[in-house]
Amino acid sequence: MIKADKITKVFGKNTVLEEISTTVHQGEVVTVIGPSGSGKSTFLRCLNLLEVPTSGEIFMNNNEITSSKVNKLEIRKNIGMVFQHFHLFPHMTVLENVIYAPQKVKGLDKSTAVESAKKLLAKVGLTDKEDSYPNHLSGGQKQRVAIARALAMEPEIMLFDEPTSALDPEMVKEVLDVIKDLAKTGITMVIVTHEMNFAKEVADRVLFLDQGKLVEEGKPTDFFQNPQSSRAKDFLDKVL
Amino acid sequence: MNLDFSQIVPYIPFILEGIGATLKFVSISIVMGFVLGTLLALCKITKLPFLKGFAVFYTSMFRGTPLILQLMIIYFAVPQLTGYDITAFLSAVLAFGLNSAAYISEIIRGGIQAVDRGQTEAAEALGVPYKPMMLNIILPQAFKNILPAMMNEFITLTKESALVSTIGYLDLMRRAQVVGSDIYRSFEPLIFVALIYWVMVYLLTVAGSLVERRLRQSD
Ligand SMILES: Nc1ncnc2c1ncn2[C@@H]1O[C@H](COP(=O)(O)OP(=O)(O)OP(=O)(O)O)[C@@H](O)[C@H]1O
Ligand SMILES: [Mg+2]
Repeated sequence: MIKADKITKVFGKNTVLEEISTTVHQGEVVTVIGPSGSGKSTFLRCLNLLEVPTSGEIFMNNNEITSSKVNKLEIRKNIGMVFQHFHLFPHMTVLENVIYAPQKVKGLDKSTAVESAKKLLAKVGLTDKEDSYPNHLSGGQKQRVAIARALAMEPEIMLFDEPTSALDPEMVKEVLDVIKDLAKTGITMVIVTHEMNFAKEVADRVLFLDQGKLVEEGKPTDFFQNPQSSRAKDFLDKVL
Repeated sequence: MNLDFSQIVPYIPFILEGIGATLKFVSISIVMGFVLGTLLALCKITKLPFLKGFAVFYTSMFRGTPLILQLMIIYFAVPQLTGYDITAFLSAVLAFGLNSAAYISEIIRGGIQAVDRGQTEAAEALGVPYKPMMLNIILPQAFKNILPAMMNEFITLTKESALVSTIGYLDLMRRAQVVGSDIYRSFEPLIFVALIYWVMVYLLTVAGSLVERRLRQSD
């Protein structure tokens, strides 16, 4: 469970997030949508402390993680993140990418790490690519490796920041399918996405951000068919 | 023209020993420059003002004064100030090592900053601590990008190493001069060591491209 309590983020004079409060429950899948620049990425990055909120608190399983006493690295072990541009380690093979953090951060021995990495790579359909370098993979394959890499830490929560926005259209589906499968396993997920059909299909709840504010949230069927705020209506008119 | 290379023949072993003498201090200087340069580069990218200030000052000092002057200061000033009778070898290693650390730190800093910021974020998001992140993720990528600049620095260092002849260290250059004054002919021994320097630099270049090819494996 992760809970944001009135988090605000200011860059210089620019208030990018304004008092956002929401709770993502254990096993819940939440999608975050909104116009470009509305603060979706910043919100997500606050959740694993890549950005530290200017004010407000974040709680994970009722422990405050925004307190300065907390070791950020410890928190991040339990929160996986998948980036728009993958950020695979280019000088490591696919398998090395996946086993690196479990070995270095969790202290697993190599054979254990390799064994579970192979299972994960099978799960994302990349068994035959384990010895390839990232630069030899397609975008969709890279993103699936990135998902496996994050999962290898066995996080409680997975964060996705527009995981398909940098992909060619024909590769979007293979990545979304992996995420959908993951959603069924009961892992908690927060997904920023521009894919509205996917957002509707996979989510238990949708958050709509606009100009740094959480303007509306609700069940996907309610939100997409019957948005309450005019800003959400305008946005949906444009993208649907 | 009156060239006579036969006269230097008896001196060839003496000159060739200079290769070892040169390589010995050059290689120690390179290692020292590389290690110190990496540490200085890390200081330059920290947010800690003291470390950063120190590294910036260090670099500007060593880049802003002539290398031969630094060599002289170490060789002559250290005994005068501390009473410690520093050898020519140690002076050479210190001067060249400290000096190249300044240049190498700039190269490495640039290399680190050229690594995509996303790499740091990906490592941080996985909970990887600073030290393994630098050692395993950022520096290997930085080194790959800066290898050509680094080879250049090593080549410069090898050539500039001839400066130590001025403090009497018996390197290749100095030996050529010694032989020259022995046989009253300068040109032949100078040409001979020129050839040796050239071959050494050539081998260094070849070694560089081999390493580069090996690092390009992941492309
Ligand atoms: N590190 C930063 N420094 C300064 N401003 C920033 C920083 N990161 C984000 N911003 C600003 O914050 C605002 C929100 O950015 P954010 O990336 O969170 O939006 P987003 O909703 O993810 O947009 P997109 O859909 O384009 O990804 C933007 O105006 C952006 O310029
Ligand atoms: Mg974004």
